[in-house]
Amino acid sequence: MREPPVTVVQADLRRRWLLMTPLYIIAAAVVLLGIAASIAALVLIFNLLRNSTPHYSDEIENFKYGSISTESASGIPYRIWRALPALFPTEFRGRSDYSAFGFLYENDADGRPRDLPIGVSRRTYRGVDVVWFNCATCHTGTVTATLAEPSTGELRTGRHIVPGMPSNNLDLYRFIHFLLSAGGDERLGPNRLIPAMEGAGGKLSWWENLTYRWYVIPLLREGLVLRRSRLLGLMDRQPPWGPGRVDTFNPYKLLLADFGSVPDAEAFGASDFPAIFDQGPRQGMHLHWDGNNTSLAERNISAAIGAGVTPDTLEAGGYQEIDRVAKWLLGLKPPASPYSPDPKAVERGQRIYMTACAACHGHTPLATAAPGAGYAFDGAKLGQVEPNESLGVDPGRLNSYSPALLAYQRAGFFDGRLRFEHFQKTNGYANQPLDGLWLRAPYLHNGSAPTLADLLEPPSRRPVAFVRGGDVLDPARGGFVAPPCDPRFPPPLAFCFDTRQPGNGNGGHLYGTDMPDAAKADLVAYLLTF
Amino acid sequence: MTGDVIFSPLKFRNLEIKNRIFRSSISGRFDNEDGSLTQTRINWESKFAKGGIGAIISSYVPVLMEGRIIAGYATMHRDEFIKYWKVLGDAVHSFDCKFIMQLSHSGRQMDMPGVHNYARPAPSSTSRKESLHGFLCRAMTVPEIETTIAGFARAAWRAQQAGLDGVELHAANGYLFTQFLSSGINDRKDQYGGSLANRARFLLEVIQAIRAKVGADFHLQVKISAIDYNNVVPWEGKGNTLSDSVQVVKWCEAAGADAIHVSNGSLFPHPLNPPGEFAFETIAATYDAMISSGVNGLRNYFLFRYPVLRPIFRWAWFRMKKGRPVEGVSLDESRAIKAAVAIPVICTGGWQSASKVRAAIESGACDGVSIARSLVANPDLPKWWSEGHEQPPRPCTYCNRCLLNAPKNPMGCYEPLRFASHEAMVDNLMTIYNTHPDLRIPSPGEVSL
Repeated sequence: MREPPVTVVQADLRRRWLLMTPLYIIAAAVVLLGIAASIAALVLIFNLLRNSTPHYSDEIENFKYGSISTESASGIPYRIWRALPALFPTEFRGRSDYSAFGFLYENDADGRPRDLPIGVSRRTYRGVDVVWFNCATCHTGTVTATLAEPSTGELRTGRHIVPGMPSNNLDLYRFIHFLLSAGGDERLGPNRLIPAMEGAGGKLSWWENLTYRWYVIPLLREGLVLRRSRLLGLMDRQPPWGPGRVDTFNPYKLLLADFGSVPDAEAFGASDFPAIFDQGPRQGMHLHWDGNNTSLAERNISAAIGAGVTPDTLEAGGYQEIDRVAKWLLGLKPPASPYSPDPKAVERGQRIYMTACAACHGHTPLATAAPGAGYAFDGAKLGQVEPNESLGVDPGRLNSYSPALLAYQRAGFFDGRLRFEHFQKTNGYANQPLDGLWLRAPYLHNGSAPTLADLLEPPSRRPVAFVRGGDVLDPARGGFVAPPCDPRFPPPLAFCFDTRQPGNGNGGHLYGTDMPDAAKADLVAYLLTF
Repeated sequence: MTGDVIFSPLKFRNLEIKNRIFRSSISGRFDNEDGSLTQTRINWESKFAKGGIGAIISSYVPVLMEGRIIAGYATMHRDEFIKYWKVLGDAVHSFDCKFIMQLSHSGRQMDMPGVHNYARPAPSSTSRKESLHGFLCRAMTVPEIETTIAGFARAAWRAQQAGLDGVELHAANGYLFTQFLSSGINDRKDQYGGSLANRARFLLEVIQAIRAKVGADFHLQVKISAIDYNNVVPWEGKGNTLSDSVQVVKWCEAAGADAIHVSNGSLFPHPLNPPGEFAFETIAATYDAMISSGVNGLRNYFLFRYPVLRPIFRWAWFRMKKGRPVEGVSLDESRAIKAAVAIPVICTGGWQSASKVRAAIESGACDGVSIARSLVANPDLPKWWSEGHEQPPRPCTYCNRCLLNAPKNPMGCYEPLRFASHEAMVDNLMTIYNTHPDLRIPSPGEVSL
């Protein structure tokens, strides 16, 4: 039994306590709730303000895995990225990673496979880890050959990853098509997706569950639905681009400029990813296949926009990140050609080349050049636009960059926050330097000629359809082994490139096609040394 | 010093004092739990009498047990106590000093209620708890008021029987009379509340009852707070104004008071009474004895104990002192009251400098001064003045440590600056406990089982 109060003050305090207890409880609850709300608010604010990405001190690692600030505006939450292979086994060909789309995976320092492929960077943004593309997505490929390891110098036969060469494996069309389709797929609803996320990456906390269910997933689906409604119609009109190719400017018109539609005359702009070696000497040249820009910096930002940056992300650090990569690319040399053609044939071929080709394409160092000199970016017409009237190659890529898009870029976009001044509409294709040529097959802007030897044949004798996506060197013809195929019956898990499809035409660039076979062989022998 | 007004006699209607210096009410817990006084109190009062003052106004003396401020203060609620008080009076008289008993009732201002009082709310004019400590109270009924009036009259009669020289009604500083007088406290709806006349009724009826009991020729003075300044706790009402009090003292004079004793403040302690410093470290060491006395005790203890909270109390306390001197803190009010009545006026508040006392009396602001702390520090203060000194060599610093030690420790001077060592200070505190060796063995009839 409770002891009775001794003093009147105690009795009064006891009476007050009984009267006031509910108020005290309410007050304490309010205070506790206030504290909890303050803590939650602080955590929320901390997370909302958080914008961090791993830093790579090594330039090659930075190129392959470092961020250029595409993730926050265009990316996919990491947990969802990890969950998609299990949800869409057909599209991922039953694999647990993204290699089915041609993404390249390396092992980490401990020999374990990295969880993100080359060309996909990671950033923590508003408390959520998000992944998306960087420069290496489209500009890192593979070659199967006997090459010296860059780190050790030891010769190794096998598949080598080469930063800066075209991403000859990546089937961006299939990947984007898959994502856009997934935006309308019920498997991307929280009830299917969240268990898949937990299956792929461990249990979500209640807070993460809440965040993903009510914020992240709806936001992602909204973004995909928007892009799908704008882009999927065009992509379905186009022949699949195939590995190593992208249509740069038509998605630009639909996603950024919101032109609504793309006329047929412009709709077939898919072309090969370019190599991005040795950018320094290219400053001032006509860049892009059609030579529509002469500024490296502007071309870089334009490419980054294609990868997913916005003015906000550029200003939040993207400019510096892109600048770092761009500076490194200024002097990035392609690995030396592993071919060892007959030196006499090379000599003969060089004579032909210097007469017929060098003015447009530059050349390898002559015997008179200083020791250690690199590719000679010399040539009266090197980096200049050759009118397609004389060149005669497929006009799809040239036509895809339209005066309307030029006007849009020049007028200022992203609410006027970005404006390009060096874009121009050209009438042909730019004469490219041929450094690292051995890594750049198939040839021509649209990759319609699988090998150098094929390119020296008249169009009628060039392969009509061939397998793209290979990385095995063809020492006889110069390029990657590309067996002929029938697009109606493509080999399993391979892409049969059909030159008869719009944009894929293999006509034009008739230079040297009328030479005798022996001369062609000599020229190829020389070109193999590039 | 011949012709010094301080040492000129002060004549009341029924009493003459040899000089103008009164020992104001101050006490420690010297006495027995039943209210009977002890040798210690006799020693305490004798110390001041010997020092040369004209009269002692006793410590607060409750007329009823339910009117104690602190258990351990001698009371005058039983006829049996007359003889003890007579001894005390004789002791004081032996030093050619007069003794005026301050008759009091705490009302709700009951700092340490003791076993007699802790189980019930204190009687008061109101049922609203005391503002500073949260002492609980209840409004007295009219029969209780009448009983209390009779208690005062009987106590005055006892003082007269004990051969004491007069009585003072403690109608100042927040005790029961103030609780009736103050418009900031009295919320009654009957004849003892509302108008000033109603609020003064209790005091005036006590004066009348005493006069009826002791006759017209026994000295009776009234101590009053000229201005209440009741809003020490900022949300309280301000209470009575000076003009209210001027009216009240006129009524007291008419009712038969022989003198008015002027103070300020409707609480005790109050920023203006006693004026001076507030020693937080001291009260933090003693206020724990009062925590259980009121519902705000623990709050106040925290305010005193924790330096981070002290500015709150410091602000409330010191804002009232702004622009006021310590010495003669109530002199202006005294002058106003003196102007309103024909009877002598005594002014209290920090007096310690001969020139200031002299000037106060000569200016007609008062007829005498009452002093407590400066006499606790220097009981021989009159000697220094009479020898022409302005102040004693080690004057009171107004640190108020004597006041703030009261809940726990013996009354005396605790100013470390005035002593060579802590031991010297304690020795000084112990001087009044010098009791007599002739305590006798009780007879069997005196021992109850």
